[in-house]
Order: sequence, then structure tokens, then C-alpha cells
Amino acid sequence: MSEHSSPAPKSADDPAFTLPASLAALRLPLCGGGLGVMLLGWWLARGVGEYGDNFAMSVYLTAAVYCTTIVLGSLFFVIIQHLVRAGWSIVVRRIAELAMVMIIPMAILFIPVVGSLWMGEGILYKWDNPGYGAEHGIPEEVWTEKLRWLDEGWFAARTVGYFTVWTLLALFFFKNSVRQDQTGDKAITDKMQYWSGPAVMLFAGTTTFAAFDWVMSLAPMWFSTMFGVYLFAGSILGAHCLLAVASFVLQKTGAMRDEVTVEHYHDLGKLIFGFVFFWTYISFSQYLLIWYGNIPEETEWFYVRQLGTWGGVALVLIFLHWMLPFAGTMSRHVRRKPALVCGWAVYLLIMHYVDVYFMIMPAAAEGAAGGANGVIASILCVVGMVSLLTGLALGLARQTKVVAVQDPRLGESIAFENI
Amino acid sequence: MSENNEKKVHGVMAEYTSVDTLLDACRRVRDAGYEKTDAFTPFPVHGIDKALGIKPTILPWIVLGAGLTGTATALVMQVWMNAIDYPYIISGKPFISLPAFMPVAFELTVLFSSFGAFFGMWALNGLPKFSNPVFTDPRFDRVTDDRFFLYIDSKDGQFQRADVEKILGDTDTDYVQTVVDDDSSDKVPKPFFMIWGLVVGLSMVPLLIVLKMRVSHSSQPRFHVFYDMDFSPAKGAQQYSTLFRDGRSMRPDVPGTVARGEMQADLDFMTGIDMDALSMIDQPRAERLVRKFNPLYVADAQAEQEATAEAEPQQAGSGDGDEPGGETTSGDAAADSPATDSDANEKAEAEPSVMDTTPWLGKNPLVLTEEVLENGRKNFGIYCSVCHGMNGYGNGLVNVRAQKILAQTWVPPSSLHQDTLYADKYPDGKLFSTISNGIRKMPGYSGQIKARDRWAIVAYVRALQLSQNASIDQIDEGQRESLLQEQAAVKKTIMEQAEAEAAKAKTKTSESEDDAAPEPEKDSAPAPEKDSA
Amino acid sequence: MSLAIPNGLDNSVEQPGERAPLVLGDTTYHDITEAVCQVAERKPSAGWVFGFLISFALLQWLGICILYLIYTGVGVWGNQSPVFWGWPIVNFVFWVGIGHAGTLISAILFLFRQEWRTSINRAAEAMTIFAVACAGTFPGIHVGRAWLAFWLAPYPSLNLWMWPQFRSPLLWDVFAVSTYGTVSLLFWYMGMVPDLATFRDRSTNKWRRMAYGLLSLGWSGSSRHWMRYEKAYALLAAFAAPLVLSVHTIVSFDFAVSQVPGWHTTIFPPYFVAGAIFSGFAMVLTLMIPARTMLGLEKLITIRHLDNMCKIILATGSIVGLAYGTEFFIAWYGQVQEEKFAFTNRAFGPYWWAYWTMVTCNVISPQLFWFKKLRTTPWIIVLICIFVNIGMWFERFVIVVTSLSRDYLPSAWSYFTPTWVDVSMLIGSFGLFFTLFLLFCRLMPVINMAETKSTLAKQYHMTQHGDH
Repeated sequence: MSEHSSPAPKSADDPAFTLPASLAALRLPLCGGGLGVMLLGWWLARGVGEYGDNFAMSVYLTAAVYCTTIVLGSLFFVIIQHLVRAGWSIVVRRIAELAMVMIIPMAILFIPVVGSLWMGEGILYKWDNPGYGAEHGIPEEVWTEKLRWLDEGWFAARTVGYFTVWTLLALFFFKNSVRQDQTGDKAITDKMQYWSGPAVMLFAGTTTFAAFDWVMSLAPMWFSTMFGVYLFAGSILGAHCLLAVASFVLQKTGAMRDEVTVEHYHDLGKLIFGFVFFWTYISFSQYLLIWYGNIPEETEWFYVRQLGTWGGVALVLIFLHWMLPFAGTMSRHVRRKPALVCGWAVYLLIMHYVDVYFMIMPAAAEGAAGGANGVIASILCVVGMVSLLTGLALGLARQTKVVAVQDPRLGESIAFENI
Repeated sequence: MSENNEKKVHGVMAEYTSVDTLLDACRRVRDAGYEKTDAFTPFPVHGIDKALGIKPTILPWIVLGAGLTGTATALVMQVWMNAIDYPYIISGKPFISLPAFMPVAFELTVLFSSFGAFFGMWALNGLPKFSNPVFTDPRFDRVTDDRFFLYIDSKDGQFQRADVEKILGDTDTDYVQTVVDDDSSDKVPKPFFMIWGLVVGLSMVPLLIVLKMRVSHSSQPRFHVFYDMDFSPAKGAQQYSTLFRDGRSMRPDVPGTVARGEMQADLDFMTGIDMDALSMIDQPRAERLVRKFNPLYVADAQAEQEATAEAEPQQAGSGDGDEPGGETTSGDAAADSPATDSDANEKAEAEPSVMDTTPWLGKNPLVLTEEVLENGRKNFGIYCSVCHGMNGYGNGLVNVRAQKILAQTWVPPSSLHQDTLYADKYPDGKLFSTISNGIRKMPGYSGQIKARDRWAIVAYVRALQLSQNASIDQIDEGQRESLLQEQAAVKKTIMEQAEAEAAKAKTKTSESEDDAAPEPEKDSAPAPEKDSA
Repeated sequence: MSLAIPNGLDNSVEQPGERAPLVLGDTTYHDITEAVCQVAERKPSAGWVFGFLISFALLQWLGICILYLIYTGVGVWGNQSPVFWGWPIVNFVFWVGIGHAGTLISAILFLFRQEWRTSINRAAEAMTIFAVACAGTFPGIHVGRAWLAFWLAPYPSLNLWMWPQFRSPLLWDVFAVSTYGTVSLLFWYMGMVPDLATFRDRSTNKWRRMAYGLLSLGWSGSSRHWMRYEKAYALLAAFAAPLVLSVHTIVSFDFAVSQVPGWHTTIFPPYFVAGAIFSGFAMVLTLMIPARTMLGLEKLITIRHLDNMCKIILATGSIVGLAYGTEFFIAWYGQVQEEKFAFTNRAFGPYWWAYWTMVTCNVISPQLFWFKKLRTTPWIIVLICIFVNIGMWFERFVIVVTSLSRDYLPSAWSYFTPTWVDVSMLIGSFGLFFTLFLLFCRLMPVINMAETKSTLAKQYHMTQHGDH
């Protein structure tokens, strides 16, 4: 720091802070194309066979959960930066803010998931099939009690509740941050910091239960108290990867070239490395406890995921979601090369999809692996949904800045240097 | 400064009072081309590596190497210890349980890496190094407080004392000084050695005591610090106990229970008696036997009525001995077990007595295969041979020992090769029952040997008996030749050995005792063959 | 050269865009040296002597209890079927938990560049080591034949001809706790070397100079040394951070890999870690607040430090609360009879008092830290932190005792009652902890002078270059 004389931040209306036109032009094609591709994927998935409806809904849920986790990770990133009064991250915080507002389109995209409960019996969630308990030899009193939580109306109400909380949180932080772009009022920062404490508590409570509801209940009799943390670990990793990729793309297209420096990539690289480790820690702990305890109620979940193709996917997660990126992002030299950080981030975003796929598909699409068509359909569906959300985020970014230009800590962030 | 001239000059040092003045001086010195320079500061000053041109350290690579060594050590250690050198199954987990090996692998990775970082750093820094020329100047003591020093070493290629003093003097400093050899005494104070010697000496004492005790013998009895740990107060199998009313420390089976795996529907198999036939002759005894092996047996309403009807007189007659299991030594239970009958029979010796009306199974219910015989041989070796001997002549090790010490109460075990015990007079079922329930001094083995294995022993005993009475004609044609040859060879060796023995005995009487010991063993193996010839 | 920051300034208020100072008053580098060194250089105060005598007496009492235990056997404890893991294991987990704050402050806050850690990390690290020493005592004597505890190590034994069982979480614990103790010691010592050099250079007494001279390994403050030193420090921090997580994770495995209802639940690893940090910070605050007053270190350990630590207590306390809730929910949602019973039994069974003490102390009392007034009033902080410590001890008690006393076999159910030896040993372990801590205060630099000076240097730098 000693040799460094911090450059004064550029003025708020500098072109470096607006969305580059080349990206802005992509927003409509991305939205339209994304929607089309997503529907194409869904349509393809329906055609895979006898369980087509179930398979298509599962593919759709996988895409939706994947996108939601990244959006939620971004929301968490923003809240936590305010909570700890972070200085280094101001230059990339707006990207996370833009991503977290995508929780609103996500709420709409979740309508089919909830709607599937009324479209037929057990299309997506098996507990929605009233005969499930009897078919699987679950004692009557256990199943009745279970259905008190896994009830169509109550499930839908909870989903609406989660999205309401997240939307309110996202809008609060987004609106205030954007308002500060104009006014530069320091009191806004104080206000956001003040509310970040309660916000993080609300966030933790809702995401835990959302993970239980949307993903864990796919295997109605299975349970793991850690599951919320497991999904969160992937989510926060995804969010940091998104920041690295988005910053890189924005810089390549001409925005914030002087603001985001190699130091920020270094920090993002460290955090990505850390969260790869955290994800491993959580998923390994969950596996170890269930494997060691060896209680039939619990091992069922991993048992299905160790057979056949799923066993292969499990190995992919071990070697390619943990070992390879762990070794790859360990070195300081890698973290200080923006292109490499961006490369690993893209790679990890793909691996995060494999992780979500591994959580959802074996339980959801029973008896319908789908084969190559199924995989293509899944990929189309998620690529479509991601494009749609990216398009919407670009649309939003066009109306505002890509950096929180008047944040009082912007100067500190620009001048930031790693030790 | 002149008084320092005669001493060796190591370099020149200047003092600064702030980070900024120091950094400024560093840059100037670097730009002037000096390379062997160093700055001394009370805390790490960031940016000074650039200002002085210090290269990055290789420490991370050392740590990476140490860490990988740690992982490898942990994995190899665990796999070798728990899966190769001493494999055992625990909670149904495989020998190589990778998930379970992860925690220790992680810990050792961290431990080794930390050692790498800690010791690597000190080694690279050349510390500990207690004598350093820069310490000579008392003013340097403030380097750990609030002063900053810049130092140019005399080994630098362009070191000229006057130039260096000038360039340092031009910077923002009040104090420039040459660094000279430390001329203070380099002797370590004597008390230090005394204390050190004392500590080392004292710490050796316990070690030496332990070592001495490990290599020396003593006629004194061992000192028991924890008496009740050396001599457990727990009761042995046949000991008396005041805890229970019956005075036994060993507990009988809980009434109405059957040991795991022993609840068998096939009562013939469990008792050695043809139960259908028995129920014709002796209904109450059959009932009791059934109840002994199947406590749930009263389900049949008719049988239940009968049982309650009969229970009264029986219990009046024989106390609580009617309870099944365990209590085979007393009262009615003894009657349950056919041992008493056979005991009586044994005394009568010859023909099947008229008193033994029990319809014993004449034939071993197991399908006799080589595997069954092998199993019988194994179990006979474990349970029977200690008394009855490996060949069944009643000369097992326990008997040998009892004879040697002239045990008063010892009843010699029967030889199994007497014709009263052959299959025609002593049916398989009866032999099975004897193994299960015991006879005379011999305890019942039903608690230790499973029924299937007891039948296997029966089969093996029959084979043993046959081996003592077989003729060469019973052997396959093809095998006779080789057998005869083998017999001849064995005979020859025995003869030779006997002769050598005799010769030895004449010359050396002292050694004969030692050699005699293995002799009977060699004899015992071919013994059956001799008879058959 | 110096900054004019008034002594009484409330530096817990931070204007966005300006960082509040972490060193208060008109402080120079030399002032920091003086402030820290005087603690060890002046004559011990009456308070210190008094505290030391009491702690030392308690330590002796612990020693007597251990001798009595070893001579008589573990029957002197209240451990009885089915609760074979009674107080000793509760105490073990409690102390290991306390031992988490130090390395967390040193390592994780270091990695997150939380500069406020500099003036508290030394004492917190020392507490870590002393707490691990206390923790290690209990499993050591709980093995029964404490003098054979070395059998836990995988050494080629000529008596046993066998190896330890690496598939057992208890052995993982041996490795985790001993690695943690070792690495914490290295980390603590390494951080202390430059400060020991300060002690060396200030000592007037020849023997003192020699002793500190040996301990400081000839440290000269060379920039090359500093550079490698900082690298090594960062690397050790990078290893210590996951190590902190792993230690309490593995302690939680002791419970969670089993099938005992109430123990076998996957949330245990993160929940134990959060609880450990929670209790560790509470213990650090409980000790640091009186210490900063008595040792005169208010300028270095400021209200802002306390405020930040209270926030961490609030955060971890809430995580622990969320975990309690999740456990309860999943016990019901999972619909496994034994699990449901275990949790009902916790809250409404014979140990209801322990459960509700735990909830009150751990979940409710830290919520008071939402109020800034309470976060910045030292005596209230101490009070709440003592409650947190009590609550965290009870948490371990609830987990260990309620689950074991009523497991799958109702005929074996019983009610655990501690004996006087149990209670004495818990109190005695505090004697061990405080004795070591008070000795540390007298003999070692209680605050990391070098790092605090570098924080001060940044503060100078900011005022000179930042805001003018």
C-alpha cells in the first residue's frame, strides 16, 4: 500500500460505468432465444419415454434450482458485504446486485414447478401422489404426519413466502444502491449496513427450508439436516464464479477497465478456492456421516447415486468438482491472471450444474434416465434459462450503472491491494 | 568512528524514524546500484521488497512438498496398518475405507505443511543465529521498538565505505554507523551449563530406572500399584458367588429362551432321538424335550391342556428341574437328557440294555461328505482331543498331565475304540446325545458346539473307529500300492530311528530325555496303519 | 508524526468511506511498546497475585482429583450405564470449543484482512493453547489407564502387535486435537518471536536478556526475514483456518457417525463449529475485558474491538439457534420414531432444565447484542458472555447426557448424576486455564506489538495521503 497513491475514482457519468453497447444489444436476442431454447429443451425432455412428463419437469426443476442458487448466492454476497462493511468488493458488487434482482423472474419461472402439483398426481414430487405411502410400505401414521408438511397448498404457500422474502431483500438493497448512484448519500450505506444483520438471518432461514422443500422432498422419506447448507455451499461458490466471469466479460467489452484490477481477481480467486473447499467439506461431511451410520432410511439417497451412471457422476463430482479445481486455483500465480480465474469460474459454473443435476435427477426421474436425448434436453433447458436471465439482467444493467459509482468506499476498493 | 578501524567492517547502517523516510532511502540505495542491502524494521513494511529488490521466497514450494508428503504418509500408514499388516473388520466397513481415512489424511497434511512452513521459514532465514554483527551497536536495540535501519553490506560489489556513508548521509537520517565485529565475549556463562547439565541429568533418571527394571530380574514379587486391575474381581466360570441365590456365578439361560441359532424345528436333529417313536413310548418325556427346544410350544390347545394336566404331578415330583436348558445336572432335567440312560447303559457295558428304551437315531442325519468329516476332525481336535487324544485312545494331554501329577479325582477318559462304543451297540444318536449332555465327569458340550458340528464329530468318531479296524481290502485298488509302499517306508524309518535311539542312549544318557519327547508323536501318526496291515 | 485522536472517542462508529482508527489516543510506536511491555516488566499487582494464588490452588485440586481418580478408578465419576460419556466428555468438548476462537481470530480473520484482530489475537491464541491443554486432560484420563494413553499413537508396539483403529472417529480425534494443539503452538510462538525480541532488547537484567534472547532465536527484524516470515504466517493461517473447522467437525463426528438418536444428524459438523466459535469468542471477551482494564490496554483493545466480537457472537449464536431449530424440524419431518422421541425428551424429558438453560443462554441472551448500547458497554458484555459460556457447557451436556441416558433400550434408561469428583474436575480445569493465562500475562507479550504497529503505520498513511 505504501507505494501506491490511490487514483481518484472517475466521475459518476464516465462511460466506463455504463453497460457496453455490444452487450446491451444482446439483451433481446438472449431473452427471446433463451426462452425458445428452454421450451425446446422441455419439449424434447417430454418425448423421452413413458415417464416423459416426470422427466421434463425434473429437467426444468434442475435448471430452475441451478439458476436460483446462483441468484441467491449473489443476494447473499451483497448482504454479507454490507454486514462486514467490506471495502475491496465495491467495484464488483453491482454485478451481484443485478444478478440478485433476477429473483423476480425466477419467481415467475417457478410457477410451473408449483403448478405441477395440481396438474396431476406426482408429476414432479412423488409425495403429491396420495398412493405413494401405501405403495412404498410406509406406515399410515408416518405418512399422514409427513403429509402435514408436504401438502400442496402449504408447499405453494411456502414457496411464495420464500420468494417474497428474497424479492423484498433484493429490491431493498438494489434500490438503495441505485439511489446512491445519484445522490451519493453516505446515510444510504449506513442504512443498508444496519439492515444487513436481520437480512442475513431471514436469508439463512428461508434458504434452508427452500432446499428442504424443493430438492430434499423429491425423496420424500429421506432427510439430512445439513441439506440446506449443502445447497448453499454450491450457491455461494456459483455466485463468486459469476462475479469473476461477468467482470471479465465486462472488461473485455470495455467497461470498468481501470476499476477492477488484478487484485480483485486475486481475491475472487481466493474466495473461489475457499468455497470449493467449503463445498467439499460440507458434501464430504454429509456423505461420511450417512455412509458411516449406515441406516437404511438415509443411505437410500446415496445408494441410488452410486449405481450405474450415477456412480460415474459421483466420481465426476469428486474428481472434477473438488480435486481438479482445488489444485488448479491453489496457486497465487493462477489467481493473479484474470483470464485463468475467469476460465476456472466458467468451469466451476458447469460443475455446479452437474452437482445440482446429481441432487435432483436421480430422485426425480425414476425409471427414466433419458439417455443422450435426456442429457441434451437438460442442457438446452438450463442454457435457455440462463440466457433468458442474462438477457433480463443486461436489460436492467442498461438502465443503470455496472459499478456502484457513488459508494463512499469505491476509492478504497479501486486502490485495494493484496498483501 | 575511527576507533572501529582496527576491527573487521561488515557494513554501514543508517537509522530512520519513519516508514516513509526509510522507503525513500531504500529506493535511493537501490537506484544507486547496491544489491547486498537490507532493512531492519520493527514490523513488516509493505512495499519494501520492491524498494530493495528482494526476490519472492520459495517457501510455498517447500510447504506444498511437505503437505503432499503428509497426505501420502497418512494414506499409506492407514492402509498398511488397517488393511494389510493387521486387517480386521470394524462396524462392517471395508478394510480400505477411504471416507474414514480422510480425516486423518487431512490432519497430517495440515501438520506436515505447518511444519514445512514453520521450520522452512526459520531455515531459510538462517535462524536461530544468536550472534549477529548488527547487534553490536546498542542503538540497534530500538529496531524492535520504533526505529528503522538501512544496512549496506561490505560484501557488495561496489562497496566503498566513504561512498556508502555519503549516500546514506544524504538521506533523511541523523545517525550513520559502521557495523563491526562483535567483540563481546562469546563464552556461554558457566551457570548455564550447570543448569543445563542438571536438567538433562535429572531427566535421565526416570528413563534409567525404567531401563534397569526392564533388563534385570528380581526375586521380589511384583509391586501391584493397582491391585484390582492386576487381579480382576470378576468371577470365573465355575466359581461360587454370593450374589445369586443358587450360589453360582454362571447364569443359566433365561427360562423360555433359546440361544440364537439353536431354535430348530428338527428335534430329531437336536436330540439324536427319533421323536416320533419316543412320543409313542414315553409321551411326557417327549413333551419335555419338545418344550426344551421350543419354548413357544404350547400353541396347540390340546397339547396345552395335556401339558397343564401333567405339569402338576411332574413338578411335585422333580422340583423346578422341569425348566428347560442349562440345568442339566440336576433333577428331572437329567432325565430329560438321555445321558443318564446311557450312563446306566455304560455300566451294563455290553448289550443294549433293556432299560435303554430310547429310540436313538441309528444314522447320522448329516449327508456325509468330505467337508463334514473335515469339520468333524477340526471340532474333535478343538474340543475332544484334549482328553480323548487325537487318535481317540483316551490319552489326551489333559489325561497325560493328570496321570503325571497323580490327580486324585481324575476319571480317565474313555477310549473310543472299545466295541461297546461301536455303531451297532452305541447308536449315532446316543453318541450325539452324550456329546451334547455329557456323561460321568464329562460335561455336555451343547453350549459350546453347535448341533451341526456335534453331528460332524459323531461322523468323525465313526471314521476314527473304522480306521482302527479297517483292512487293506477296503481301500481302492489304485491306492493300495502306494499305501503299502508308504507303510514300508514308515516302518523302515521307525526302525532306523529306534536303532539310532538305542545307540544314542548307550553313549549319552543325558541327552536321551530330550530326544524321547518328540518320539511318541512320530509314532502316533502311522499307528492306525500298522493295525490295518 | 502522531495522530490527534482523543482518548474517549467512540471508534465503534464508522463513517462509510473512512475507516475508524483501531489504535486510540496520541499513540506512537514507542507508546505501543511501552504499553505492552510494562505489563510484563512491572512488579505483579496485588490483583494478579491474588488471582494466581486462587487459580493455582484450583489447579492443585485438579491434580489431587486426578490422582484420586487414577488410584481408585473411573468409578469415582458419575459415569454409569448407559451414560458412559458423562462429564469428562462434556468438559472435553466444552474446552475444545473454547479453544477455537484463538486460531479463528489469528487465521480466518487474518485471511479476511480484519485488521482489528491484531490487538486481540495474541491473547486469544494463548487461550486456545491453554484450552486445548484443558481439553486434552479429559479424554486422557477418561481412557481409564491414563498411563497407557500412548497406545493411541500408531507406534510399532512390541506388547500389542497391533495398530490403532483408523476407522474410529475417536482416533480421528486424537489426530485432530494433537495436530490442532501443535499447529496452534507453532502459530502462537511464531507470531511471538518478533515481540520476544522486543522483550530481549528492552531487558536490563542479564538472565532475562538471555532467556528472551534464546526464545527470540536471534530475530533482527531484517526485511528478508520479515518477508519470509509473513509468507510463512500467511501459509500457516491458510492451513490453520480449515484446521479449526476440521477439529470441531471431527469432534462432532464422534457423536454423529454413531446411530444414537439425537447424535446421528448431518448438521453436526457446521453446527459444532459455529458453537465452538461462539463459545470461544465469549471466553475471549470474558477474559479480555477485565484484562484490558487491569493491564491498562484500553487504547489498544478498543470499544470497536469489543463491538466487532459481539457481532460475531450474535452471528454464531444465531447460527446455533437455527441449527437447534433445524434439528427439531427434521426430527419431526423425518418421522423416525427414535429421533422424534430423542428431541421431545431433550426439551420435555427429565433434563428439560438443562435444555432450557441452554436455549436461554445460547439463543436468547446473545440476541441482546442487536442493541448497540449493549454491545459497547463492557460489563454487560462480560455478563452476557458468561451466560453464553454456561449455555455452551449445557449444550454439550444436553447432547451427551440426554441422548445416552435414554437410547434405544428403555430397560437401560437411567438418570445421570455427577459426583463431587466430576464437579471438582470441571472447576479444577478452570484453575489450570487461569493459571496458564495469568503466567502468560506476566511472561509473554500479551498484544502483538509488531502487527499493532503496522496497523498504526497504515493509520498514519491514511491520514497523510487519504483524506487531505
